Amino acid sequence: MTLTHPTTGHTATADHIYATGLRNQWHPVVPSHFVAPGGMRKVTALGEDWLLFRRGDSTLHMLADRCPHRGARLSLGKHLGDRVACWYHGVEVEGDGTVSSVPGLPGCNLEGKKLVTSLPVREIGGAILAYFGDEQHPEPCELTLPEPLTDPGTEAILCYAEWNVPWRFGMENLLDPMHGQFLHHESHTMFDGDTTAKFRIRETDRGYFFEKTDQRGVNFDWVELCRTGVDWVDLSIPYPPSAGPGGPFGIVGMICPVDAHRSGVFFWRYRNVEGWQRDTWRFLYRTLIEKRHWEVLEQDRVMLEAMPHDADQAENLYQHDLGVVRLRRLYRAAAEQQAAALASPEPAAATAPAGV
Amino acid sequence: MTPWPYLDVHQSRTHEPTPYEYKLAATLEEVFTKEGHELADVIRGLNARQVHAPNGTPWTEDTFRAEMHRLGA
Ligand code: FES
Ligand SMILES: [Fe+2]
Repeated sequence: MTLTHPTTGHTATADHIYATGLRNQWHPVVPSHFVAPGGMRKVTALGEDWLLFRRGDSTLHMLADRCPHRGARLSLGKHLGDRVACWYHGVEVEGDGTVSSVPGLPGCNLEGKKLVTSLPVREIGGAILAYFGDEQHPEPCELTLPEPLTDPGTEAILCYAEWNVPWRFGMENLLDPMHGQFLHHESHTMFDGDTTAKFRIRETDRGYFFEKTDQRGVNFDWVELCRTGVDWVDLSIPYPPSAGPGGPFGIVGMICPVDAHRSGVFFWRYRNVEGWQRDTWRFLYRTLIEKRHWEVLEQDRVMLEAMPHDADQAENLYQHDLGVVRLRRLYRAAAEQQAAALASPEPAAATAPAGV
Repeated sequence: MTPWPYLDVHQSRTHEPTPYEYKLAATLEEVFTKEGHELADVIRGLNARQVHAPNGTPWTEDTFRAEMHRLGA
C-alpha cells in the first residue's frame, strides 16, 4: 500500500523525505519580517507550496497554497484580515484552514469544513518556524528552542540567505568544521590554527559534538548537532580583538529544506554581551562586521552551489568526515523510518497520537 | 512571485551608515585592538584620537553609552 500526501499527491517515499526534509519536526521557513502585519507571502518548504499570512495584530498563519475548491493558488488571493479569499471564485479560508464562506453558493457544504492544511507556527529570533507533520503526526512535537536565542545575556542577530543547494549539503557543511581552515582561511576570523587535526564524536542527549581533540578556541574547532524538535547546530568562532569585549561569537545554524535542490539558511551570530558591550557590538556589526561575515558565507555558497548533485555518490572520505557520515546515517535512517511508518497499515510508532 | 534567491549583505542595518558612523566604527576597532576592552580604555582611546561625539565634545562614559545605545539598539 502506498500512501500519498493528502493535498499534493506526492508519494512519501524515503527518497522523497530524504530529499525534501524530515517530517514530524519543526523547520525554519523565512524571516519574520518577510510577512508584514496585513501581508501575505508565498513560500516553498519541504517541497510544497505554502501561504503565510499575518493578521493586523501580528498573528501568523500558514496554509497550504491550494484552494480547497479547484486548487488555485490562495497566494494569488486577497487578504481579508483574518482570512484569505481565493481570487478564482472567491472561496474564503480562515487561518486554521476552515472554509468560512463560498460566496457563489451560500450554504454550500464546503462551508465550516477544515479543508486546507494549516501548520502550527512559532516565531523566534526573527524567524518563523513551522511544524511539518505527516498524516500520522499532525500534532506538533515538543520544541526546545536554542538557548542562545532565548538567554537574556546573549545577543543574537539573524542572517538569512537562499542557496541553490540541497538542504543535506548545507547541514553536512556545518558538520565539517575543518573546511574553515581552508575555504575560509582568507577571512577575518578563521585565519589561525593548525591545518591538520584529529576529530572525535561525543554523544549528547540531544545529538552529538564533532570536535577537534587537539585545538579549541582558535578556529571553527567544534560543532554540536542539536535535535530538539527543530534541528540546529551550535558552534563558536573567535573574534579578533578589534571586535571588542564579549569573546568569541557563536552561530546557531538552521536550514529550511525548500525543495530537493534549494535551501534557506538561517545563521544567528550570537555573543554573550549586555549593556554598552552589546550596543557596541551591534553597532560594529551593522557598520563593518556584517559585511565580513557575509563574505565568508558567500564562500560556502559558491562552493556548495557548484557541487555536483551526485557529489555524495562517489567520495573518498577520511577521518575528518566522520561528522558528515554520522549525520547522513542519522537522516537516512529517519527518512526510511518515516516512510515505512506511512506505508504500514497500522501506525508503527508508539508515539503516534491517538485517533490516527 | 516571490523573488529567489534572497541574498542581502546588510540585514541588520536601518540605514546606510553616515561618514561619522563609519569613522567611529573604524576608530573603535583600532582602539579595541591597541588600547583594550574596558570602557575606560575606549573613552581614553577615542578622545586621544580626537574622534569625538557629534557635538564635538570629548566622550564621557555616559555620553558614549548613550551614543552606542542610539546606534546599536
Ligand atoms: S479555485 Fe479557489 S475559489 Fe475556486
Ligand atoms: Fe563555512
